[in-house]
Amino acid sequence: MARTIAIVEDDPAIRANYVDALRRQGYEVSAHADRPAAMAAFAIRLPDLALIDVGLGDEPEGGFELCRSLRAMSARLPILFLSARDSDFDIVSGLRLGADDYLTKDISLPHLLARVAALFRRVDALTAGSPGEEVLERGELRLDAKRFVVSWRDRPVDLTLTEFWMVHSLAKFPGHVKGRDQLMRDAQLVVDEATITSHIKRIRKKFAAVDPGFDRIDTLYGMGYRWTSDGA
Amino acid sequence: MALRVRLRTKLALVSLVLLIVPWTGYRYIVEMERFLLEGQQQALLATAKAIATTLHEKPALMRLTTPLRAPRQETDAATDGSAPVETAIPVPADMGQSADRDASREDESLAELLRGAERSNVRLWIANREFKILAVAGSLKPAEADGEPGRWQRLLAWLIHPPARDFDDAFDEDMLAAGPEVTGALLGAGGTRVRNTRDDRAVVVSAAHPIWAADNVVGVVVAEETTNPILSVKNEALGRLVILTLAALGAVGLFLLGFASRLSARIRRLRDEAESAVDARGRIASLATASTAGDEIGDLSRSFSTILGRLAQHHAYLESLASRLSHELRTPVAVVQSSLDNLRMEGVSPQAAVYVERAGDGLTRLSRILSRMSEASRLEASLVARERERYDLSTVVGNCTEGYRLAYPAQDFVLEVPGFPVMVNGSPDLAAQLLDKLAANAADFSSPGRPIRVALSAAAGRAVLAVANNGPCLAEGTAGKLFDSMVSIRPGGGEEPHLGLGLYVARLIAEFHGGSIAAENLPGRDGVAVVVTLPTAP
Repeated sequence: MARTIAIVEDDPAIRANYVDALRRQGYEVSAHADRPAAMAAFAIRLPDLALIDVGLGDEPEGGFELCRSLRAMSARLPILFLSARDSDFDIVSGLRLGADDYLTKDISLPHLLARVAALFRRVDALTAGSPGEEVLERGELRLDAKRFVVSWRDRPVDLTLTEFWMVHSLAKFPGHVKGRDQLMRDAQLVVDEATITSHIKRIRKKFAAVDPGFDRIDTLYGMGYRWTSDGA
Repeated sequence: MALRVRLRTKLALVSLVLLIVPWTGYRYIVEMERFLLEGQQQALLATAKAIATTLHEKPALMRLTTPLRAPRQETDAATDGSAPVETAIPVPADMGQSADRDASREDESLAELLRGAERSNVRLWIANREFKILAVAGSLKPAEADGEPGRWQRLLAWLIHPPARDFDDAFDEDMLAAGPEVTGALLGAGGTRVRNTRDDRAVVVSAAHPIWAADNVVGVVVAEETTNPILSVKNEALGRLVILTLAALGAVGLFLLGFASRLSARIRRLRDEAESAVDARGRIASLATASTAGDEIGDLSRSFSTILGRLAQHHAYLESLASRLSHELRTPVAVVQSSLDNLRMEGVSPQAAVYVERAGDGLTRLSRILSRMSEASRLEASLVARERERYDLSTVVGNCTEGYRLAYPAQDFVLEVPGFPVMVNGSPDLAAQLLDKLAANAADFSSPGRPIRVALSAAAGRAVLAVANNGPCLAEGTAGKLFDSMVSIRPGGGEEPHLGLGLYVARLIAEFHGGSIAAENLPGRDGVAVVVTLPTAP
């Protein structure tokens, strides 16, 4: 059975383009222009994944509202924000509301499709509960590239997809410096460098929530970041 | 240099116009004095006349030595032999004892008469036509001191001289003879005269009236008085005038001073508010609070506030324009982007693919412009809530320069950092961002083959970071503008879009660190150095 994706986007051209691209991938897509229409549809049936714009028609924060309602309906439904708004404040707000990722609209369609596919894989892996094959272990860090779950000292770290890919990129070759450009590429993200900085900050915070003494991500100003292994 | 006269001083000068009031008062007093003097003269003349009237037709009392020219009527009467005048008139040279006795008796009676008419401070004389003084009564000097002068009078004594009590009242017969009023009276017309005492310490008013015997003037009565009573009145009036004027001037002056102070304080406050309303970066920092006063300064303050408000609105509009524009443009760019992506996925002919690629390239550039446009405003927004930490700037500079050697392989970098940590307060990420901008800028302008010098030094609580490159110099007057938003001074063209926000971002970060940024030409005029000065954190 084809997976269903709901797109809530007020711009008809973008909406149609996304619908076409996703349909081409074999997804079943339902598109909604505003929050009430989307809520009406969700009340009947929840999609497998929701792609939401933050500003919806008359409601500048309609997407956030919608995300909150959706999260209340389902704790595990993958929610992806796709917005023209790229301020730190918006990103933090979106992620706090329980979205799985926050993308800006300059992401290319192939990248978007890759993310959607990755999110579905993560959901599948979580529901199946089977151990993934692509597990990356670096000391106390355990990255499951199949299920997109991370654990530090056997405690799960709740990372978004973007953050996961960044950590993955850093930890794959500990000690190697990853430039911001490279991180962006690995996370399949097109953002400016300041946003990378705030992503790294958030990642550090999430690890620090599990282990207050966490200090494995080094900043090399002007060059990038690196993962330091034990004792390094 | 033009003399700076404060508003208060000006108003004080203007208040000097008030001096016209005491001047008018003084004129009035002088007028009054003249009037009193005239009155005194009339009174003295009246006294002299009264005495003279009692002495009319008594030529014997005059003890004349020369015979009178007998009037015609008298002559007629003399034929009757009943005219005692003629008999009495000739005064023989050998008058002898009895005549002396007679004379002293007559003088006695004259003195009696004068004493009867005597007034205090008035001296009365009777002289015959030969200027022989027959009797004197009274004194010009006051009998007793008329009270001590008041406190105020003593205080003002330097300004208003009290009438002299002690003056030379000696009588001089020559003076009497020379006195025009006396000679006038002897000619038959009473008159008055104002003269000084011989020592010039007092002024004496004298009035003379002729004593008639028939048609002949046989003598004069002179009444003299000093003008001291008038002077006393005048002085009293003057004293009061001075004191009142001083009090009034003082009161008005104080009032004007207070008024002017308040006025200038309000204007100064308005000026300070206006000056502080616009900060060094030309932004409206705070709106002037509109005064509620109903006068012109209140009006000025209100219109100032309104103007600043409008200016702030316009400023905010301009500042948000870049980020709003980039935000608004993002959606259509996303439409084009997703359409192009769809087109690629649909598969296009190789010929058409070229155009799709070109469209993609153009779009990439457009996206970059958009993200640059919003970079500054995003940074501004994030600076507000950014936490500061203490970090070693030399590490950041060292790391960054390492990074630039990789990022700009064709460019040489010379790094000069001190061998000790340079601790500053701020954000290392931002410092790296600042250095990125400076390095990118230097790399753009650097002459090929010449290194870019990145130098950090610390002394006296300041860290100085300089990024210098060889290349074209800055034109005069552009150095200050470089760090403003949307100012780009470049020869033009080029692949990369330049919005003039890079150095603006650098300035924002320098200011976030509590420092400043400046650009200057190298001493040899063969390049430019951008110098960032930051306070160090001890």
